[in-house]
Formats: sequence, structure tokens, C-alpha cells
Amino acid sequence: MDGSQKDMNGARQGGIERRQTVAAAIWGGLVIAGILLATTVWALSSARAGTDRAVNVVSGFYLEELAGRRAQVVSEELRNDLARMERALDTLEAEDLASQETLRRFLGRTRKLLGVDKFVLVDENGIVYTQRSTTSGLSRYSFLAGELTGPTISTLNLYGAKKQAVLAIPVEGIFFQGAEIRVCFIHIDIDAMLSSLTLQTSGEETYYNLYHRSGEGLTNAFFGRLQAGENLLSALKDADMEGLSYSQVEDDFAAGRPGRATFTYQGIREELCYIPVEGTAWMLAVLIRDNVINSQISSISATMIRHNTIQIVITVLAMLGVFLVLIHQARKNARILLEQEKADGDRIRAALAQVERERTDMENIHKAMGSGRWSMEFDEHAQMLSCTWSSAFRNMLGYESEVDFPDKLESWSDLLHEEDRERIMKEYWDTVRDYTGEKTYDVEYRLLTRQNGWRWFHAAGRLSRREDGSPITFVGLFVDIDDEKRLEAQLEAQNIDLQDALAAAQHANRAKTTFLNNMSHDIRTPMNAIIGFTSLAAAHIDNTEQVQDYLAKISTSSNHLLSLINDVLDMSRIESGKVKIEEKETSLPEVMHDLKTIVQADITAKRLDLYIDTADVVNEDVLCDRLRLNQILLNLLSNAMKFTKPGGLVGLRIQQIAGAPEGYASYIFQVKDTGIGMSQEFLAHVFEPFERERTSTVSGIQGTGLGMAITKNIVDMMGGRIEVASEEGKGTTFNVELQFKTCAAPVRQEVIPQLQELRALVADDDFNTCSSVTKMLTTIGMRPDWTTSGKEAVLRTKLAKEQGDSYAAYIIDWLMPDMNGIEVVRRIRSLIGEDTPIIILTAYDWSDIEEEARGAGVTAFCSKPIFLSELRRLLEAPFTVRGTADTDQGEETSFTGKRILLVEDNELNQEIAVEILQEAGAMVDVADDGAVAVEKLEKAGPGRYDVVLMDIQMPIMDGYEATRRIRSFADPALAAIPIIAMTANAFDEDRKAALEAGMNGHIAKPIDIPKLMELLRKILR
Amino acid sequence: MSKGRRKKRYGMPSMLAVVAAAICSCSVGLTGCGSKAEDGALAADSELRIEEQDGQDGDVQQGLAPQEGEAVQSVPAGLDLAAQDAAAAQGAEMAQGMPFAQGVPSGGPADGDIMTVVNLDHELDGYQPLKKSYNFYLTYKTVHPWWDAVALGIEDAAAQYEDMGVVIEYEYLAPDKASAQDQIRRLNEAAGRGFDVIGVDVADVERITPVINQLMEEGQKVMTFSSSDAPKEAGCQRIAYVGNTHNYEDGAALTQILCEALGYRGKVAILVGTKDAPCHEDRALGAQDVLSAYPDMEVVEIGYDGDSAEAACQLTEEFLARHHDLAGIICCNMSNPVGAARAVIQAKREGEIVIVGMDHDQEALRYLRDGVIYALGVQDCYSIGFDTVQVAVKIADGLLPGEAYPEKTEEMTTIIYQDSAAAMLQILYGESDR
Repeated sequence: MDGSQKDMNGARQGGIERRQTVAAAIWGGLVIAGILLATTVWALSSARAGTDRAVNVVSGFYLEELAGRRAQVVSEELRNDLARMERALDTLEAEDLASQETLRRFLGRTRKLLGVDKFVLVDENGIVYTQRSTTSGLSRYSFLAGELTGPTISTLNLYGAKKQAVLAIPVEGIFFQGAEIRVCFIHIDIDAMLSSLTLQTSGEETYYNLYHRSGEGLTNAFFGRLQAGENLLSALKDADMEGLSYSQVEDDFAAGRPGRATFTYQGIREELCYIPVEGTAWMLAVLIRDNVINSQISSISATMIRHNTIQIVITVLAMLGVFLVLIHQARKNARILLEQEKADGDRIRAALAQVERERTDMENIHKAMGSGRWSMEFDEHAQMLSCTWSSAFRNMLGYESEVDFPDKLESWSDLLHEEDRERIMKEYWDTVRDYTGEKTYDVEYRLLTRQNGWRWFHAAGRLSRREDGSPITFVGLFVDIDDEKRLEAQLEAQNIDLQDALAAAQHANRAKTTFLNNMSHDIRTPMNAIIGFTSLAAAHIDNTEQVQDYLAKISTSSNHLLSLINDVLDMSRIESGKVKIEEKETSLPEVMHDLKTIVQADITAKRLDLYIDTADVVNEDVLCDRLRLNQILLNLLSNAMKFTKPGGLVGLRIQQIAGAPEGYASYIFQVKDTGIGMSQEFLAHVFEPFERERTSTVSGIQGTGLGMAITKNIVDMMGGRIEVASEEGKGTTFNVELQFKTCAAPVRQEVIPQLQELRALVADDDFNTCSSVTKMLTTIGMRPDWTTSGKEAVLRTKLAKEQGDSYAAYIIDWLMPDMNGIEVVRRIRSLIGEDTPIIILTAYDWSDIEEEARGAGVTAFCSKPIFLSELRRLLEAPFTVRGTADTDQGEETSFTGKRILLVEDNELNQEIAVEILQEAGAMVDVADDGAVAVEKLEKAGPGRYDVVLMDIQMPIMDGYEATRRIRSFADPALAAIPIIAMTANAFDEDRKAALEAGMNGHIAKPIDIPKLMELLRKILR
Repeated sequence: MSKGRRKKRYGMPSMLAVVAAAICSCSVGLTGCGSKAEDGALAADSELRIEEQDGQDGDVQQGLAPQEGEAVQSVPAGLDLAAQDAAAAQGAEMAQGMPFAQGVPSGGPADGDIMTVVNLDHELDGYQPLKKSYNFYLTYKTVHPWWDAVALGIEDAAAQYEDMGVVIEYEYLAPDKASAQDQIRRLNEAAGRGFDVIGVDVADVERITPVINQLMEEGQKVMTFSSSDAPKEAGCQRIAYVGNTHNYEDGAALTQILCEALGYRGKVAILVGTKDAPCHEDRALGAQDVLSAYPDMEVVEIGYDGDSAEAACQLTEEFLARHHDLAGIICCNMSNPVGAARAVIQAKREGEIVIVGMDHDQEALRYLRDGVIYALGVQDCYSIGFDTVQVAVKIADGLLPGEAYPEKTEEMTTIIYQDSAAAMLQILYGESDR
């Protein structure tokens, strides 16, 4: 009781003390505030009188300063303008003075540059030139009346009250249209100039104006109580002057002296300051109202006191206010905090319950979906705090516990497939660091599972974020999608296959359609010629010459048609795999020479150049299908000729290359042209059947589009490779690489003892030939020199002779650009004796020049391409016994007295064959089918017929059957009668079948007469 | 003397009204004067009412045509109707019924309308030119400040077109001394230089008309402008005219004012500008016609100053020396009143001699302000220049007179008195001395 009493007393005592302290503080504050206020008021009012005086003096200075500066700016502005005019005139070029138009352009340009109203030139006649006009100006511009001696600044009191300053300078030495330009001037709007000078607008208190020394206003501006345009001095006459008298001001104006005057005008006391503008007869005047200054000063002082007092009161009040507000706020805050904590507790509990519910739901969903949940927590800096893998997640990867697969990011990321890792980790961190929160993590990747190797998974997740966007929790799930993925890949592959197949089918279809279209055209074209010329020939049957011409044309067209058909059939056979490669012993030199012979006529006809040569060919005899090799090279050559314009080059080169296994030799056959070439797009398809770069109807070059495909197929069948390089407009090069079995020993490589160490000279303008022949010569032990110039060959001969080391052999090209080969030989021959062999190399038929060449001293001819064996033979020749000359040449194709049985069912064919054979002198009997033939032969007995020409496809009995019957005749002489198949079944297997049936030969229809003759000759020999 | 005097503006329509009023107030009226004459007759009865109104078709110009009912002023006391009648009777006897002014036309626009005497706020009429640039050749009589005022109108119109993106280039040239021969040379030269329109202030109607006609035949587009026209009625084929169409009436009106001021009696001298200059001569003719109507008015001198104020001054000195009782001087051009006033001041006879004259010379306006000159007829040179360009653009665009522009564009002459002089000086020259 005592204690509590004491406490209460203490509390009461404490309360009383606190109240006393507060009261003391308040009273103390009020007293201090009062003192502050009183001293401020006293200090300010004592300062006021001094301020008034000072401000007065200072304002005077200020006024003078103001006026002075303005005047300076005005005069500077004018000076600058004058200088700019001078500079502008300096830029006047002679061409600016060429015409009124150019002058106006210059004036306009300069006016814009100077930023003035007008930039004007005036000539001696007072004609005023501006940007837009040419006017007579003497009456308008008074300063033009006299001669201008220096820069002049005047004002223009223009009709229309636009006061303008005119800045004029004299001009010399510029003439326009015969008159001298005397003056250049510009207009300046004085109002504008002055308003731009009055930087701070002082409302109605301060006025600026420009006056003439006469007092006349230069602007349209008001000046205090003075009207616009009013004369300042006249106005001052009526004013009460203080300080300066009116006449003093007038004198100042007249003399251009600065000054300051105070006067009262129309009841208002004003302060005037004037100052001359340098370089002009102008005065700049500033006017400020006296009462304005005074009232300004008083109001400044009064305002100062008022402001200070208010300031102190406000400070005191503000201090009190702040104090009270603080106490009040602290109490209020405590109450609010308590309430808030309670509310927060409730909310958190409710939220926790909600979270728990949702968690259970999620787990159920995960179980149902087979998906594994994972989550990560982050701090404000997006650093990971924790990572939680759900057990479902672990199990999917084949892990049992946290020990195997700890709760850290690396447990998962280390298992990512290398190809996925970078992408997935980037996506992961991008999602975490996307503070906008818009990004969703949604990826597919491969993970290495414990038991099942790599499997595809789909993971997706999102983040909850703080207000600033920093991540809090990253939660997501994870599903095994491996099976779907595999199915998808499979489907895609199938789809691609299908698409490829479709594309291929479409392409083939298109190509076939194109082919058929082309074929239709290509077949119709020669057919048209054949039919057309045939009817023409029939119509002009009496005109032998004409008929001959028609027949020649028919023949050409027929041959073309035949080759067309051959190609098509060939291709179809190759495609159906019916063609077989038959390897026989083949001499490459022969192949090459034959080829040359075959194409020579076309080369000449098309006026092309053919280069044909060999390089490093050591094995000349090989086992190969000569026919097919020929076909390849012929196809390529005819292609080259077809697409090369007259004057172009076609080249064929055979080169033996290293790298073939024992018993084999590798060659590259190169066919090169300088023709029209092919586009890169077409190159990809050049070997596909039915492809032509341009349809024949467009290009005019006929063909089946099968040649290249056939060639490629044959090369493939021969186990070789074919490559093509081409550039449009430049030409095409085909390289065919083939490997053949060598059938004989290589060409003898040993030296020819008689020639060993002797010198030889090769002269050919083609470097490749030189190189090739030189190598060959080295092989046989000679010391070759070479030159590409005929003249040099002669010179070297001379030198060698002088050195006493003459050449023992010469190999000289027939055609060299600087000197004809024959001429070279002639000259060389004149230097050396008759014994040294000189061999002429030529790609052409030399029969025409042989006589002349022999006369010039040529020992022998050699046809290009030259092979080692040939060279060897030629060089050895002088040292070996020469064999007898060929004798089997020039046998007469005559079958006089021979009796031939023609078995043919077609009447037309009968007629043709009969005609041909009778032409050759044979007697012909005809049998309409096999059965008739057998019967006829049987009746006739042996010796009656020399040979049977047997068609194969016939009614009643075909050719095979008939042959078999004949061969089975009892009479051996009759049974052995030569039978030649003469059939439209023209393929190899037909040939084989014919031989197998016991026939002796095979000739294809349509009949190639020389071939038939050749065969008959062989058989009848 | 100037009590109650007001500015009087004379556009063509108002002049017609004046003349018509004068004629119809004659005891022997002329027939066929039309309704205007009747109006005039009514007005002239006891109180002369002069109403400016829209005139004939084509006379009306936006911002220029006086508005109906705008300027009805009552005649001040002191109008001697008897004298008028007598004079009018005499005038009516003139064989051709030459129109003359009667009574004192002391009506005029309200004070604020001094601003429209010269319409410096002229704006383009909204016509959209067809081309982006034009090139005009304008030649006038002689180098003289009057045409410099016209030049300003031309310049401003060109500037306004330029703001629209249409470039107007022009040559505006004249000889130092008016010469028909020189003008012919200039016209022929211009014809060869490919201008869109050639404008000419006709120096001599008789000699220039055939040249204009020839140019028109050659396909040139020719118009006349400013002070003198070669009218269609005189056989000229020029396309249009912009300028003063009422020189005769101006001369007549000024003279009428002088007569009134002198109480219709006294000796007067007439100062004319250049001999044969149509505008000057027409004014002089108008003056003489009016004077001849008053029996107590006597023309004692006619002198030509050749458009030189100095010459005018000298002539006036001579007049004053020869006629001590000279009461008035009628000045027909711009330099006349300046010279006349100078001489009168020199002779210290200002206030005694009534000077009326033409135009807006700054010096003349000062004399008007100071009471040396009694009245000045101020022509709206600015609008002449401005409208010349507007009409030229339309001519260049191939438009013919009609709706787009009148065949004759009337420009106003306003007669002003002492009380308007200061304002006029302020408006035209930015001068506001008292």
C-alpha cells in the first residue's frame, strides 16, 4: 500500500515535472522567436535608406552600361553585316554574271546566306538587281544619287512605313551586261534588329530606341510616352528637364556624345540615357521611368522585411508542428503495427493451409501423369539457395536415393546430352534471369539414365518472383517422352523418304514427258525431210541432179534418224542391264587414230581445230571393250563438236596415270572443248537420261539427251569414272578415268642402241606435244631438245652443226604459226645431210602434201597422237630391214558372178537389198520367208548360192530356225553355206544369237552399204 | 478654314455619283442619266448626300470598294446653292455635257478608315496559280517616287506568292525621262525575251497602242497598269488594266474642292506634270472643265514642271510674281504640290493661297499637316502594284477578263485634308511629329 502510494506520488510528481518542462520550453521558444523578429525588422529598415541611395547610383551606371552595350552590339552587328557583304561579293564568280538568271541565283543564295531582307546590286545606270527583280532604283534609293566612296549606313523611310536600314558599300570592277556594278546594299529591318537586342523584356519600365542625331525615330517602336516615329528632341522641348538642359541634350545628339538626362514628360519623371552607335549617325536611347526605379527599391526593401518576418514565424510554427506530428504519428504507428501483425498471422495460416492442399493435389497429378517434380529456391541476386529433385524424378532416371542423386543442379545437368547441354543450360538461366517473368521454361532434351541409356525428356517450369522481378522459386515438372520422340523421328524419316520418292518420280515423269516431246520433234524433223524430199524426188524424177541432191538430203536425215533410234535403244538396253562388256585385246593407238579418222571430216566441216595427243602412255595394248571405249570417246567428241562454234577447239588427250595395280594400267581420257559450256545447275543432271540443257526445239541442236547418260552408264560398267567441268560460254572438259588389264608387255622401254646419246630436236607449237615427245625420246635413250618455233628449230640446227653435235633426228610439226613445217624441213635439210631422219608430225591427212614434203626432205610422216611404239618404229626404221609394202589395198568391190539368196519378207527391203547387191554385180534370188529359203536351198543344192542374207523376224519361219535347218542339211557343203544375218534386230545379243544359231555374220538394218560389202568380201574371200 | 472638312474618297463609283449629282442638279437635266442621277438629284436638293456605292460590274474589288451606306456625310453650312445653280446651268450648256463636280463633297469615311486609303494590308485573293513560277516585264513612264510606291505593292504581292510556293520574277524598269520611243524600244525588246506577261504604263496612247496590238498579235500577253491605260475603246487590244481609271474625275474633284474653299471666285494657276502624260493631262482637263463652269473662277496660268519639284517651285514663284492676287493652285501630279508649297512658304503667303494637289509625297503630306496645302488626292499606289501582279498571274494562266478579274481594275483615290495628314504620314512613312 505504501509502495503503491509512493509509486503513484512518484508518477504524479513525474507528470507535473514533465508539464513544467514543456511549458518552459514553449515560453522560451516564443521569447526567442520574438527577439529574432524584432531585430530583423530593425536591421532591415536601417538598411533601407542606404539601399535606396546605392540602388539609385547603381541603376544609373546600369542604365549607361545597358545603353553602351546595346549600342556596341548594334554597331558590331552593322560592322559584321558590312564585312559579310564584302565577303559575299568576293564569292561572286564570272559565271554568276553570265546572265540575269545566274545573277539572280547568286543574289538569292547570298541573301539567304546573310539572312537579310534584300541583297542588292546596283549598276551605273541605277538598275537595281535583286533575287527576284530588276528595277529602276534611282528615285527609291536616295543614296544612289551621289557617288558612294565608302560603306554607308542610312535609313530608308519607305512608303508603307517599313523603316529599314540600308547598308551600302561601293563596288568596283564588276560588270554585268555591259554596265559596271557600282553599289551593293542590303536591307535590315531595324525593328527586328532592335527587338532582337532587347534580350530581357522589362515590361513597360524600360524602353530602347534608335534615333537619328536629328531626333527622328528610326523604328516604329514606342518610347515611353513618345509615339512611334515621334522626334525625340521635339518631344524633349516640351519636357521639364532636370540636370542637363534641352540644348545640352540637343548638342549631345548633334555631336554624337553620350549623356544622361532626367526629365518629366506628360507628368511622368523619366530617366534617359543615350549613346552614339559607332559608325552611324544614330543614337541609341534607353528610357527608364524614375518612379519605376523608386517603387522598385521601396518594394524590394519592404518585401525583404516582410519576407524575413514571415520566415521567422513560419520557422517557429513549423518546429512546433513537426514536434506534435511526430508524437502523434509514433502512437498511431504502434497501434497499426499490432493490428497488422494479427492480420498477417491469420493470412499466413490460411495461405499455408491452401499451399498444403495444392501440394497434395500436385502430387496426385504428378503420379497420374508419370511426371517428376523439381524445384529450386533463389536469393535476391538470382543465386540458387537450394534445389530439390522429387523422388519420382529420381526414379525416372533410375536412381533410388538422395545419395545416388543428390539435391543439386549438377546431378541433373551432368547427365545432359552434350549436344543439348549448352542450349538447355542457357534456356534454364535465361528463364531464371528473365525479370519480366514472361518466359516459361519449356524444353526437350536427352538425359543419360542409369539403366536405359539416353532417353528424351520434356521439362517445363515457371518462377515465382519478388516485386523487383528477382526469382524466388523455380518449380517445374519433367516427363519421359522418349517413345514419342522415337516415333516422331521415324515418321519424319519416312516422310522425307516419301518426299524424295515423290520428287524423284515427279522429276522422272517430267523428264520423260520432255523426252517424249523432244523425241516427237526430233523424229518428226528428219522424217519430215525424208518424206518431203522423197516426194520431191518422185516429182522430179527426170532431173537427175536434183534427185541426187534430194537423195543426199534424205540420206543425211535418215542417218540422223537412225542414230537417234540407236541412242534410244542403246539407253533402254543399258538401263535394262542387257549390255555386257566384252574385253578384247585393244591397241590404244589404233583406237585413237580411228577416232581421229572418224571425226576428222566433221571437224573440218565444222571448221574446228582438233588437238589430239598422248602423255606418258607406256602400256599401249590393253584388254578392253574397244567398241564401248570408242562409243564413250565418240559420244564425248561428237558432243564437244556439236556444242562448239566454228573456230573453236576440240581436244582429246590420253594420259596414263600411276597408281594401277600390277597387271593393270590406268588412263585418263580427256575431251575438252571451247564450246558454249553448261550451267552449273545443268551440270548436276548432265548424266541423267533424257536431260538436255536446252530443249532441242529451242537450241536447234538435235539430240536425244541420252548420249551422256549412255556414256556414263558405259563408263560405270567399265568400272571407271567420268567427271565434267564446265563454264557457260567458256567450254567443257570431260575426264574419263578407266583402268584396263594390260595384255602385252609394256612398249619396249629399252634404248635403241644406235640412237643412244644422240641428239634429237622436237619442234611443235604445242608445248604438250613437245613435252610428250621429248619424254619418249629420252626413254629410247636420246638427248632431245625442243622448241615451239619453226625458226628456232632452223637456228638450233645451225648451232648444233657448228658445235659439232648435230641432231640425229627431227620430229617437226606440220603446222606451226611462224613457219610452215615443210619450209622448216626444207631449210634444215639444206643445212644437214640426207641421212638424218626428219619426221613430220601431223594431225591431218597428209596425202595431199606427201609429194611436196618428200621433195623437201621429209623422211616419214607420223600421225598425231604419237605413241611411243610408233615413234620407236619410225626411228628404228632406218636401222631395220624395211618390210614389204602393204598390198591388200584397193581391192575392187565387185561380186560379179556371185549368187546370193536374199531371205526377206518385206518387199521394200527386198527391193533395196536386191538393188544394192545387183549394183555390186551379184545375182540375187529372193525368198519371202525362212521356209521358202530352206526349200530353195534344198532344191538348188550346193554351189548354186555363194551366200545367204537372212532376215531374222519373218512370218512362217524366222531366220534362226531357217539357219538351224540349213545347218542341219545332210549335204555338208550345202549346210556350210555362209549365212549372214541381215536384220533390224541390231543389238549385241541379236548378233550373238545369230552367231549362236550358226550364222557367219551379222549386218544391221538399215543397211550400211560399205559395211555389207566389207562383210561379204570377208566371207566370200 | 478646314473646319468640318473630312476626307473624301473617290473611287470611280463615287466620282460617278458626284458628277451625276452635279449634272442632275442642273436646271436642265440630261436625260438617260439613270437611277444614280436620280439619287444624286434627290441628294442635291437641300442637303447634298453623296453615297458611295458599288459601281458598274467589274468595278468592285474586295477590300477596296466602298461599302454602301458607309460614308454619308452632311454638307456643312455655307454652301452657296445659288452659285451652284448658276455654275451648273453654265456647265450644262457645254456641248458634250462634260461632267463636273458640284458642291463641296465633304463626306468621307470614318476616321478609322484612313487606314484603308492605302491598303497596306492587302492580301492575295485566294486564286491558286497554275504554275510554280512567273516572269513579268513591267515598264512605266519614268523613274519617280510615285512608281516606287507601286513597286512596293508589286514586291509584297510577289513575296506573298512566294510564301505560297509560287515564284514571281519581274523586271520593273523605266527611263529617266518619259519617252514613248524608249517605251516602244523596251516593249519590243521584252517581247523577244519570253516573259509570261508584259505590263506597260502607257506613255503615249496613240504611239503605244499599235505596238501593244502588234505584240498581242504575235502572241504576247500584254496588260496596262498604274497611271495610264490604252483603253479598249481606243482600239487597244491589251488584255486588262490595273490602276487609276479616273484621272479626269480626280482633277475635277480637287478643283471642285478648291472652288468651294475659294467661294467660287478668284484667280487660279494649274500646275501640270509632264506634257502629254495622259494622267496629268486628264486631271488638268478635269480641273479646267470644272473651273469653266464657274464664271468667277479664272485660270491665269498653266505650267508644266516635267515631274520636278524644283521646277514646280520655280514656276510657282513666277506665278506669284506675276499675279499678286493669285488665290489658288491646282496641282496635277506628285511634284506639283511640293514645289507649289515650297514657293508659297518662301513667299510667306501660306494661309492665303489654297493649294490642292495629287499624291502622297512625304513633304507634301507635311505641308498638308502644317496647313500649307489644303487637300491632297492620295492614290492607292500600293494596291495598284499589288493588283497588277495578281492580274498578271491570271493573265499568264490564260484567263480572260470576266469572273477571275475585271477588264479594268479600279484603284481608289482618296482626297484627304489637314486632319488626316498626320495619320497618313504615320501610315505611309512612320512619321509622327506634331
